[in-house]
Amino acid sequence: MQKLLLTYLLLLPVYAFSQLTVSGKITAVTDPSGLPGVNITIKGGTQGTISDLDGQYSIVAPADAILVFSFVGYRTQEISVSGKIRIDVLLEENAQQLSEVIVTGYASVSKRDLTGSIVSVKSDKFKEISINGVDQALQGQVAGVQVTQSSGTPGGGIAVRIRGSTSISAGNRPLFVVDGIPVETGSLSARNFGGQTDNALAMINPNDIESMQVLKDASAKAMYGSRASNGVVIITTKRGSKNSNTKITLDVQRGVIDPVNKLKLLNATQLLELQREAATNAGENPEALGLIPGITNGVSTDWQDEVLRSGIMQQYQVAVSGGDNNTTFYVSANYRNEEGVQLNNSFERMGATLNFDQQVSRKINLGTNLTLSRTLNNRVKGDNFLDGVYSGAIKSLPYYVPYDENGKLIGPGSGMYAGFPNFNPVAQALLPRFETLTLKLIGGLHATYEIKPNLRLKGQVSIDYNDITEDQYESSQTAIGGFLPSVGGQGYGVFIAQAASNMVSNLTLSYSKKFSDKHSFSGFIGTEVFRTFYNGGSVQGRIFPSDDFTYITSAGVVDAGSSSKSPPGGLFSIFAEGRYDYDDRFLVTVGMRTDGSSNFGPNNRFGYFPAISAGWRISQENFFNASAITDLKLRGSYGFTGNERIAAFQFLGLWNAATYNGNSGVVPANTANPNIKWETTREMNLGVDLELWQGRLQTSIEVYHNKTSDLLLNRPYPFTTGFGGIPDNIGDMENKGIEWSATSVNIDKAVRWTTTVNISKNLNKVLFLADSIPLYRGYTAEGVDATNIVKEGHPLGTFWGLNYLGVNPATGNAIYEDVNGDGLINNSDAMVIGNAQPKWIGGITNTFNYKRFDASVFFQFSYGNKVLNFTKATLVNMGADLQSNQSVEALRRWRKPGDVTDIPRYELNSTLNNLHSNRLLEDASYLRLKNLSIGYTLPPKLTQRWMIDQARIYVAATNLFTFTKYTGSDPEVSTLDGSTTAQGIDFFTLPQVRTISMGLNITLR
Amino acid sequence: MNQATHITIKLNRFIVVVIIATALSCNSILEPEPIDLLTDEVVLNEPKDVPIVEIGMYSAFRPIIPSVVIAGDFTADMLLHNGTFSQYRELGTKQITSANASVTALWGSIYNLIYLTNFVIERLPEVAGVRSVDRNRVMGAAHFLRGYAYFIALQTYGGVPLVTATSIEANRNVPRASETEILQLIEADFTAAQDKLPDVPVNAGFAGKQALHAAWAKFHLYQGNWAQAAAFATEVINSGLYELESNFATLVNTDFTREAIFEMGYTLNDDPGTSSTIGLNNLFVGRREIIPSNQTVLALASTESGDRFASIKFNANNLKGNDNGWSVAKYGTADENNNNVIVFRLAEMHLIRAEARARLGSVSGANSATTDINILRARAKAPAIGTVTQSQMLALIENERVYELAYEGHRWYDLVRTGRAATVMPPFNSNWRAAYERWPIPQRELQTNPALVGNQNPGY
Repeated sequence: MQKLLLTYLLLLPVYAFSQLTVSGKITAVTDPSGLPGVNITIKGGTQGTISDLDGQYSIVAPADAILVFSFVGYRTQEISVSGKIRIDVLLEENAQQLSEVIVTGYASVSKRDLTGSIVSVKSDKFKEISINGVDQALQGQVAGVQVTQSSGTPGGGIAVRIRGSTSISAGNRPLFVVDGIPVETGSLSARNFGGQTDNALAMINPNDIESMQVLKDASAKAMYGSRASNGVVIITTKRGSKNSNTKITLDVQRGVIDPVNKLKLLNATQLLELQREAATNAGENPEALGLIPGITNGVSTDWQDEVLRSGIMQQYQVAVSGGDNNTTFYVSANYRNEEGVQLNNSFERMGATLNFDQQVSRKINLGTNLTLSRTLNNRVKGDNFLDGVYSGAIKSLPYYVPYDENGKLIGPGSGMYAGFPNFNPVAQALLPRFETLTLKLIGGLHATYEIKPNLRLKGQVSIDYNDITEDQYESSQTAIGGFLPSVGGQGYGVFIAQAASNMVSNLTLSYSKKFSDKHSFSGFIGTEVFRTFYNGGSVQGRIFPSDDFTYITSAGVVDAGSSSKSPPGGLFSIFAEGRYDYDDRFLVTVGMRTDGSSNFGPNNRFGYFPAISAGWRISQENFFNASAITDLKLRGSYGFTGNERIAAFQFLGLWNAATYNGNSGVVPANTANPNIKWETTREMNLGVDLELWQGRLQTSIEVYHNKTSDLLLNRPYPFTTGFGGIPDNIGDMENKGIEWSATSVNIDKAVRWTTTVNISKNLNKVLFLADSIPLYRGYTAEGVDATNIVKEGHPLGTFWGLNYLGVNPATGNAIYEDVNGDGLINNSDAMVIGNAQPKWIGGITNTFNYKRFDASVFFQFSYGNKVLNFTKATLVNMGADLQSNQSVEALRRWRKPGDVTDIPRYELNSTLNNLHSNRLLEDASYLRLKNLSIGYTLPPKLTQRWMIDQARIYVAATNLFTFTKYTGSDPEVSTLDGSTTAQGIDFFTLPQVRTISMGLNITLR
Repeated sequence: MNQATHITIKLNRFIVVVIIATALSCNSILEPEPIDLLTDEVVLNEPKDVPIVEIGMYSAFRPIIPSVVIAGDFTADMLLHNGTFSQYRELGTKQITSANASVTALWGSIYNLIYLTNFVIERLPEVAGVRSVDRNRVMGAAHFLRGYAYFIALQTYGGVPLVTATSIEANRNVPRASETEILQLIEADFTAAQDKLPDVPVNAGFAGKQALHAAWAKFHLYQGNWAQAAAFATEVINSGLYELESNFATLVNTDFTREAIFEMGYTLNDDPGTSSTIGLNNLFVGRREIIPSNQTVLALASTESGDRFASIKFNANNLKGNDNGWSVAKYGTADENNNNVIVFRLAEMHLIRAEARARLGSVSGANSATTDINILRARAKAPAIGTVTQSQMLALIENERVYELAYEGHRWYDLVRTGRAATVMPPFNSNWRAAYERWPIPQRELQTNPALVGNQNPGY
C-alpha cells in the first residue's frame, strides 16, 4: 500500500520526495542496437514508460522502487533501483511466453498465473493459411478444439466444438466475443442452399486479429456463465502501442485453388451395361426403358469436369499503426476474393478497421474499436438439393451434355437433359443469380476511470450489427425458375433483407491490492445487459416477361412474402470475480455470474453460475529443487456454465396464425412448459503446467469431466396429445477428456527449430434421456427411421442402420442381420453402427528459421472418426432407379451365382439391396498437411534504400496432402453444417480444396 | 476546474445514467411481449375469438385430406414412385415401415385436428355472449370434423387411441380403442353435429348439413348398412344444392364446382407449393415424385372411362427410363384454379348409392344401381351399361370408382373394405402382404406412448 500510494503521489510534485530520474538503455542479444517499445513500470504501481527507438528510457521512480521491464517475446526482468540513476538492461528472449498477458473476458491475467484452462492462439499461427474466417484459424491449433469445415465452399459453414458437444439442440457453437461483443455465428442467410450454408464468422478478417483466447473450463468461462457451456473464444483485434513509430505493413497474397479429389464414376458405356443388367434382372425390357446400346451411350460426359474449375485467391491488406504517449491507433483496410472451385461460386470480402485509444487525462482513458466489412457471396446450391451444382454433377447421367449443338445451355424440359430428379448442373451453376451481400459493423466504445490507482471503473458499449441482403433470380432455364410450375414456371426471383444485431453494455469495477509481500488480491464486479434484435422480410416474384428481366419489379405475379421481427430478448447479468495470490505459490480464483434470460418463465428466469479454481506453483516451494524445471504448476477448477439458446416463449402455450380458404384463424403452436429451465454444465478440470530449461520446453496436460444436465430439447410426446413434443429439459450428457500440448525449441543455433504439438481426446456420452425415448436425427434413410440416433449410453453423432453382412453368393442379394429374429428385415432390426466422434484429434507445427529463411509445416489429424458416405446410397444404389450415375465400385457387383463380392446384385426399382446399413459407414481418420510455407526475408541492405524496414516473400500451400482410407472425396465433410447429432455425413458434399499461393509482406517505418 | 476533472464529472454522470438505465431496462429485457403469437390464456375467451378458432379448425383439418389421397391411391395400385424420397419409395415398392414419414404425417394431422376440436368442444360452451348461430355452426363443425377424422383414422390404422379431451398428461398414455369404440364416437359426433351445422355453408370449403349426410353415407357404406348408405346419399342427391358438371374436365380444372359438397380450399397465399410433403401439385406434377401406374393409365384411357381420361395428362419430355410420361392432372399450382382437394362430391354419392342398391339387390331397372352408374357414364360421355348381374355390377362399380374418383384417395380403402385387396394387389406388386391392408401405427407413437407398446398392427 505504501508503494502504491507513493507512486500515486509521485505525480504531484509538491509531495514528491526521495524520487530519482532513472534512465538507461535496453538491448537484447538479437538487437544490440537497442530495443524499442519495452514497457518499464514501477512494480506495484500503474505508472510507466516505454523505451524509445534506440532503446533509451527515462522514468521517475522512488529510490527504493523496483522497475519491471517487460516486452512481448522477452523474459520480464525486475530490477531494484536502490538509488541508481542509470540502469541498462539486457533482455533475454523468451522461448516460451509465460509472461504473456491473457485476456479472460472482463480482465486479463499473466499466463503464468492462470488457474483456469485458457489457450491463446497468436496471429502468426494462421497468417499464411488460406482461410476465410476466424473460426478456421483454430483448426488443429488448440488441444480440445475440434474444427470441421463442412465443405470446400469459400465462406461456407464451419463447426467448432470445444471439449465436445454439451447440448443436443440448444446450440453447440462456442460463444465468439470480438473486442467485448458476442458476435453472430453460424448461418445468416435466410434461404436453404442444400448443405451449402454461409458463415457469419467469415466476415471477420483474420488478419486484423492480434490473438484468440480459447476458454475451456468453468473457471475461465465463469464470466460468460449462461452462454459459456460450449466454450468461449475471445478475439482481440490489433491495436497500436504507445510511443512507437508509425508502422505501415503491406500484405499481398495470391494463389490458385484446385479441387482435390474427383470421384471415380462410370462412363456412359459402363453405366448403360449396368442399367440394362438391372432392368433385365427386374424382368423388364431395357430397350423399352430407352437403354439402347449405341444410342443411349452416344456421348459420355464427365460432369465433374464440366462444373469444377481452378479458382483464383487474392488478398491484399494495408495496416498502419502507431502511437505517442497519449494516443495509439491501428487502421487497416483489406480485400480478399476467393473463387470457388464450382463454376460461378465466389466469396469476396472488403473491410476496414479503426482502433483508437486516448489517454484523456491522468485518470481517464477512452478507446474505440470499429470494424466494417462487406462480403459478397456468389453462392451455388449443393448437397441434398436436386438442383445443386456439385451434387448434380455427380448424379448426372453421362448420356447427357451441358450444351446443345448451338452452344446454348440445355434447360429443363429438353430431351437432351430431361430434368428431374437431376438438372443440368452447368446451367444450375451459371444461370441463377444468388448474391448474398452482407454488411457487418462491430463497434465499441470503452472508457476507464481510475478512481484510485488500484480501483478502476470501466464502462463499455458495443454492437455487432449485421445487414444481410439476398438478391436472387433463377431463370426459366433452371429447375426452380423453369421446371417447377408450382414455384417459378417462368423465372423466379427472391429478395430477402434481414438485420440482426447484438448489443452489450457493461460496467465493471475492478480492484487490486497487495497486502504484503505475500498476499495480493485482485477482483472485479460488474453488470451487463445483452440484447439481441432481429427483423427481416422477403418477397418472391414469378412469371417474368423473359430472362432479361430479373428483378421482382418486373414479375408478373408477386404472391409470396413475409416480414417478421423477433421479440428483443436478452440477458441481464451480474458477475464478480476475485483472485488471490499467496506468495506466488498459491493462486485462487472465485467467480460467479448470475443471468436472467427472457427465454425462461418467471419460475426459472435466473441462472447462477459459480466457479472456483486454484493453482499451486510447486516450483516456488522451498523444498522444490530441480534446476531444470523453471516453472511447475498444478491447477484445478470446478464450476458451472449454462446454455439458454432456445426459441423464445417456450414456457408459454402459444397459438400461431393460420389461413384457410382465404380466411385467417389461429392454430395451436406449442404447449406450455412453465418449468423449462437453464441447461447447466458442471465442469471439472485438472491441469499441470511444466516449463523446462528456461522455457525451451513448455508443456501442459489437462483432464476434464463435464456433465451437462437438463438438456434443452423438444421432448417427444405422442401426437395423441395434439403436439409432437413439449420444450423441456430432457436429459443429461457427459464429456470427459484429456488434452496434451507442448512447445519446444529443439534447436536454437544458426538454425532455429521449434515444434508445437497438441493432441486431445474427448469422450461424449448421453447419460439419460427423458422416457428413455431415442431421438432420430439426420436424414431419413431406406428402411430405417433415420441415419442418426440420440440414445442413452451412446455419444452424439451416433449412426443408426442395419447390419450389412455381405452378399449372398448364390442370389446376389444383400444379407442384413435380422436382429429381432422375426424373419423380416425392417426398421426394427436397425442398430447402432458407429459414431462420428473422433478418438483423437490434434495438430503439429514445426517451424524452422535459418538466416533469412523460414519455413513452417503444419499437420492436422483426426483419428477414429466415422463418416457416413451417404453419397454412396445413390452412387452404388443396386438399381433403385436409373436416374443417377454410379461409382466405379459398382463394377464389382454380383452378376452370376457363385460370384463372391461385396456389392450386391442390381435390380431395377428394388431397394432391398440398398437398405440403409453400415455398408455406407467408413473410417474417416485422416492426416492432413494443412499448411506448408517457406519464406525469405530480403536483406535489409537491399530494401532499406526503398525505405522498407522489412520485406518477406513466401510461398504457402494449404491442404497439400491428405492421407486417409476414406473412399469418398474428402474425410472432413459434414453436409448438415453445425449439426451435432448428425455430424460427419457426406452427401454430395464438395470436398476441401487445395490452395497454393505466393505472398509478400512489407513493413515500412 | 481543469478539463480532466470536468470530463471526470461528466463520466461520473454518464455512469450513473448507465446504472439507472440498466436497472430500469431489466424488466423489458426479461419479459418482452410475444410478437405475432397468442398465448393459451387469450384464445377463445370472447365471442370475437369464435370465428378465428373456427378457421383454425378447418386449417388443421385440411392437411388430412391430401394425406388421404396419398394413402388411398398410392398404397394401392394407382400410382408409381418416380422420385427420390424414401417415404414415397416405400409406398411405391410396397415396403412400408412404421417409420414412414407419410404414415406419421397423416397420424399427426389427425390428432392435431382432434386436439383443436376437443379444445373447442370443451371451451366454447363456456364462452359467454356468443350468438347461437355461431355457437351452433362452430360446435357442429368441431363434432363433424372430429368424427370424420376418426373415420379416416379407423380406416387407415384400425382402432386408434380415443382422445376426446385436451389434457396433455392423460393423452400421453392412451391405449388403442377397439374399432367399435371408435365407431361409436363417430356416430355420436355425427349425431351431435346433425342439428348444428348450417343447411347451406358459405361455400363448399366449409361443412354444412349435406357434408354431414355425405359422411353418413360413406360411414354406412363402410359398415355395410346399405339401406342407410343409400338413404343418406339420396338425401344429398335430392337436396337440390348440387348438380353434376356437364363436362368432366371442369372437375379436373376448377375448384368449387357445382357438384362439390365439401372440399379443402387453398388460395394463392396458402397453397402448399413445394414446402410441404403434401403439396399434391408438387408431388404429382412439379417433382413428378409420384406418377400414375400404367394399368391406371390404361383404365382411364378406356372407352368405359370416357372423358374421365382428363384426370391424367401426358408429356413426352418426361418419358425416360421408367417414367411413363403421365401425370395426375387434378391438382394445379397456386396460380391455377384447381388446387383444392375434394372431400365429398356428388358423383361419389351416386357411386355409394349404386353400390348400396346393388348390394340390396336393386341392380337394374328404375332407381337401381344401373341408374346411378349411367348418370355418371352419360356425363363422362362413356357408353351406358346394359343388363348385368349383381356380382358383375359390383365389379363394375369397383372400376367405375377408379374412373370417376381417380386420385381422390379412395382406391385402397375400397379394396380393403370390399375384401378385394388380397386379390388385386399381389399381381400389381409381388411385395404386397396382407399387413398392408392397414398402415402401421407410427413408430414414434409406439415409443412415446407407453400404452401402445406391443400393440402395433400385425405384420409391421
